[in-house]
Amino acid sequence: MADQKTEQKLVTLKINGADTQVPAGTLVIEATRRIGTEVPSFCYYPGLSLQAACRMCLIEVEKMPKLQTACTLVATEGMVVKTDSEQVRNARKYMLEFLLTNHPLDCPVCDKGGECELQDMVFRYGADTSRFVEEKIHRPEEKWSDLVYYDAPRCILCFRCVRVCDEGMDVKALGVGMRGAHSIIIPNREDHLECEECGMCIDICPVGALTSGTYRYKTRPWEMQYHSTICTHCSNGCKTTLSVRNHEIMRANNRDMSGINKDFLCVKGRFGFDFTQHPERVRQPLVRKGDKLYPVSWEEAAQTAAAKLKAVVDAGNKDAFGFIGSNRTSNEENYLFQRMARATFGTNNIDHHRTADFTGLVTTLGDRAGDAMLTMEQLYQSKAVLLVGNDPTNQNPLVAWQIRSGIRHFASKLFVINSAEIKLERKATQYIKVAPGQEAAALRWMAHEEGQLGHELVEQLVALKAALEQESEVAIVFGAEISGAAIALLTAFGSKLPGQVRYMALADYANSRGAADMGVLPDRLPGYAYVDNAGAREAFEKLWGGVIPSQAGMTAPQMVEAAQSGKLKALYVMGANPLAHFGTLGFGRGKLDLLIVHEMFLTETANQADIVFAAASAYEKDGTVTNTSGEIQLLHKAAEIMGPRTDFDLLRILSHQLEKLGLGKAFHYKTPSAVFEEIRKAVPSYNVQAAGLLTGGAEPTRVQFSRNGHGAYDVPAGLIRSAQDTLFTSGTLGRFCTMMESLPEAEAQP
Amino acid sequence: MELSAQLAAKFEKLQTSYPVKRSALIPMLMYAQDEFGVISDEMVTEIARRLNLHEVQVEETLAYYSMLHRKPWGKNHVQVCTNVACMLRGGNELLDRAKKRLNIGNKEVTSDGIFSLEEVECIGACTGAPAMQVNYDFYENLTPLRFDRIIETLDAGRKPDHEPVTSGALHPRSPLEIPVISKRWGIPNSRKIDTYIQNEGYQALEKALKEMAPEQIIEDVKKSGLRGRGGAGFPTGMKWSFVPKDSPKPKYLICNADESEPGSCKDRPLMELDPHQLIEGMVIAGRAFGAHEGFIYIRGEYRYVLDIMDIALAEAYERGYLGKNILGTGFDFDLITHTGAGAYECGEESALMESLEGKRGNPRIKPPFPAVVGLYGCPTVINNAETLSSVPAIIRMGGEAYAALGTSKNGGTRMLCVSGHVVKPGIYEVPLGLNMKKFIYEVVGGIPGGKKLKAVIPGGSSCPFLTADEIDIPMDFDSLAKAGSMLGSGGMVVMDEDTCMVDMARRVMHFYAHESCGWCIPCREGTSWLMKMLDRFHAGYGTAADITNVLELSKNMLGRTFCALGDAAAMPTISIVEKWRNEFEDHLQGRCAYKNVDALLGAR
Repeated sequence: MADQKTEQKLVTLKINGADTQVPAGTLVIEATRRIGTEVPSFCYYPGLSLQAACRMCLIEVEKMPKLQTACTLVATEGMVVKTDSEQVRNARKYMLEFLLTNHPLDCPVCDKGGECELQDMVFRYGADTSRFVEEKIHRPEEKWSDLVYYDAPRCILCFRCVRVCDEGMDVKALGVGMRGAHSIIIPNREDHLECEECGMCIDICPVGALTSGTYRYKTRPWEMQYHSTICTHCSNGCKTTLSVRNHEIMRANNRDMSGINKDFLCVKGRFGFDFTQHPERVRQPLVRKGDKLYPVSWEEAAQTAAAKLKAVVDAGNKDAFGFIGSNRTSNEENYLFQRMARATFGTNNIDHHRTADFTGLVTTLGDRAGDAMLTMEQLYQSKAVLLVGNDPTNQNPLVAWQIRSGIRHFASKLFVINSAEIKLERKATQYIKVAPGQEAAALRWMAHEEGQLGHELVEQLVALKAALEQESEVAIVFGAEISGAAIALLTAFGSKLPGQVRYMALADYANSRGAADMGVLPDRLPGYAYVDNAGAREAFEKLWGGVIPSQAGMTAPQMVEAAQSGKLKALYVMGANPLAHFGTLGFGRGKLDLLIVHEMFLTETANQADIVFAAASAYEKDGTVTNTSGEIQLLHKAAEIMGPRTDFDLLRILSHQLEKLGLGKAFHYKTPSAVFEEIRKAVPSYNVQAAGLLTGGAEPTRVQFSRNGHGAYDVPAGLIRSAQDTLFTSGTLGRFCTMMESLPEAEAQP
Repeated sequence: MELSAQLAAKFEKLQTSYPVKRSALIPMLMYAQDEFGVISDEMVTEIARRLNLHEVQVEETLAYYSMLHRKPWGKNHVQVCTNVACMLRGGNELLDRAKKRLNIGNKEVTSDGIFSLEEVECIGACTGAPAMQVNYDFYENLTPLRFDRIIETLDAGRKPDHEPVTSGALHPRSPLEIPVISKRWGIPNSRKIDTYIQNEGYQALEKALKEMAPEQIIEDVKKSGLRGRGGAGFPTGMKWSFVPKDSPKPKYLICNADESEPGSCKDRPLMELDPHQLIEGMVIAGRAFGAHEGFIYIRGEYRYVLDIMDIALAEAYERGYLGKNILGTGFDFDLITHTGAGAYECGEESALMESLEGKRGNPRIKPPFPAVVGLYGCPTVINNAETLSSVPAIIRMGGEAYAALGTSKNGGTRMLCVSGHVVKPGIYEVPLGLNMKKFIYEVVGGIPGGKKLKAVIPGGSSCPFLTADEIDIPMDFDSLAKAGSMLGSGGMVVMDEDTCMVDMARRVMHFYAHESCGWCIPCREGTSWLMKMLDRFHAGYGTAADITNVLELSKNMLGRTFCALGDAAAMPTISIVEKWRNEFEDHLQGRCAYKNVDALLGAR
């Protein structure tokens, strides 16, 4: 892309007397913004189709008789533009006068007051008086869903909401009704909405016409602080800006368009924060006495945990420990967690619920891994996308948004292989339906033209192959359906394509990729080095103390099985619910002596624990997370609630208690960023530009990996499994998002 | 849902008639409403399903068009026009009469469901003013007595005699007229193909297909000086030559017969009395720039005209003037009619294309122009019905001969519809360049009752008004422009000395506020504001500042709106305030040209 841009032809136009160079094809409104000159607009919205409806961006252009809309005018060589002439100022002033005629001017009680584009424009460009003395058109406010309210009189009909719902979301739940001054926005179901409830329409609204059911009339914009952090739901790593008043999250959006997702957020990113205030939140440590959990002090909980862990050590069985990490907590916390398992307790029995085979992708690509990973931005700009498995609309909403945007903006092509009929199908150039579980067989055919497939399917695959061979770059995106040996088939096919091929494995949960990168894996150290790699082991041993075993440990399902059958004596779970995910139903904790859990809620696993540490959520901590495309981003602490502590704090406290008892070295990091500094040094792919991270950017990791003599890679069936979340579920966390649970669309989901 | 066999068949046909399915949306809604009297929720779902649309897309479209409705009207939907031409001849009084006679208000339904009443905008019966439609039937030259009789007959379950032909189309010819395209009007069965063929019909097509290369046709039309008759007056031959020859996409021809400009009702008789002339013109036009498919977009109110066109199309297909291998020359051309559903804005070419694609009639951003990116994104020529009807005569007599009928740069003849305060309202075909004053006094018979002429709208209500002193000019595009107005679509409305110009300004603005599509701010809010202000002013609640404000707000719209509708609202208003400011000032003093302020206060 960068190369194409530099080759692009430049044109020079004069804006208010200043020569300005822009690439040919640039709209004048963008050209003016580039030099910091504001040409106001309501209907113009980057990325959406052009309207020229609001007429706010009228400017004077030499040799053109009438004022021109800067939003539709393409800059040409020698064009002379005035954006601040008397004529232009008048046009703006009177346009705003027109606009205010039917606007209710209820700014003092309007949610948008203080952050309203119309207010700002009238302040900057409007008249100080109004000549309008007639009756305004009024309509009562309408509730379209629990999340979306529409106040027609406030609506200025910029049609941003209609466009973002149609063009951006491909939902088309909004339309325009009536005509003339009576025009209104209408929902798709007579008087209510049936949609993905993403709330894009609310935040894209320049005025207070569309307001949020969870935020309206609660506070004023200037009473809040704004913290941008990373959404804690799916694996895509959208930036969400939390608006916080008195440490409580009031709303989430991303109106400043920062982050990999720009202004995109799905229902979870925008509304799924209410779990933080859920009444069932565990707010203090709990210790089991008899068959009940009782609240205790932090000292007591930490001392009890350390003592009980020591007791298991003293019983003399090294393989008696199991550690299950989290795909939601930060990289730093996962790093410390596996350090504790490996260095303090000397075990490789450490894993997490794996929802994508990142290990497989890294291992299969080998030394190509660094260059062959696809970022979210690259996905958007890819000329061709091959999607194998998964339902991004439901499971990876940003991935779906990027694909749709690419199709819209660059006429990219989408090719789909799936066993289900997914919504993205209607955007696909080619959709190939396979039988459930047949994805790998299709890939085998693509890679090696082997296997017994139906004639019709083969024909489709031939066409697909031919189409992909025409492309100069192909993004291959795949779900949990493709894991283990199947990944080798995928990359074998990919490496035969003439164009540049990049890959993205689609996981669930906010830090699945980070958990894998940080070595929360039984056979890999941080950075994916095999545990039998003596050099890698030694480096970490030097850093952490202790002796890391060279044998791979148990996987998460094996650990739960071993716990329930009595082979494991102690299981330490951080931010996960393995008994529900991998356990034998009704078997509970089985014959386990000790179960320690860090949790926000009394989940199936926490309920069985001996000690529950009340854990902070991602919105209540600092740190880093890595999204499914391997991009690292910063978490910023936004909310604070009484009681819970971050996993970082908990592990640090416990490490000190353990050291006192002669177990391992205490963790002397003062902050999560100190841990990240260590990670940057110890895991080469994490040695990313700090500047990018600190300014809120996403820094792609470049995995450096060596096979170290290991042969073909595979995983047992069932180890990699998708959580099958929908837009309205989010694993265990989703159950505590009251708002999402209440939506009718959530019930309608399978 | 359950459809009658007839409607189901109509749907099936419509669904396959267009290159893109969605185009069938508006006709489907219209025919469904004809059968059920209303568009129900089930019908929205049914049509959405049939056209692969989201229901909200159907709702958006139907909400836009004033003829489509989600609540049932009466069995007889009485639509009284009160737009300028009708207003000048008693339209408002007729509406009052209707309210009293039916004992319901505007947009209400009688308790027995037999009647409903609606005040409507111009229905294209200006030369038969005052006029109304009951469902699709036209009733013109109404008097209160005749109105009552019509209602009585309908009440008795019978169908009254309605207008068979546009009033004012058939009249003794003045020596100043040169009938070229209205030549066949008045010949018995003029709409039949045999009559047409016996009267020079399809000779031009023979000539164009067999003797002329496409470039020659365009050249001839260029020579004829033919300029668009829809209003803008763009040279037709030049428009055709803009179509890229090397485009791999199909090319389309659209006939704009969405005649809705208040004062204009010429396309209606051109189609009802001589449909084959239009068909012939379209085939020739298609041949000239390489289109093989054409559409005749006819305003929804003209349903009977559409039915006439459909019969004529079937005749033309049968005789081989349409379809494959026309006249054995290997040229293919298909033509279908398409109904509008009540929207003035759809007369704007790009809004018409949106409408033809089954969408709301919002105009499109230009450039690109239709000749390059038009219907379905393909090169498209869109011409007015009169323009296309002129093509056969041009080819037959040769471009130069046709041009010689008019003046230089304004070739040929022009259909003029004259309404308002004239002795002989009607539709006349005169050479371009004829003196306007001469026309009004010698052809149309002057002002009734020996009254003085006060004002003239030269070409439809979008044109700036002319005073009595300004009408001694040749009627051609350029002379009108020089006089500060436009020849527009040929809808001339004449006002006598007793006309209240404030009332005219008020009524004109009502029309544009009603027809504003709502897309852009200045037109949407400006027309609505001006309408309210002029209402108040005319009712006697005006202030001196309002006069300045009417002028300034109009100027704030002018040139800043998305399409020309904002200009069309602003220009006549500006001309009225500037030329008859004294009447506005008189209103402040309690004087009105035809009513005193007490009466006006009562009116409010």
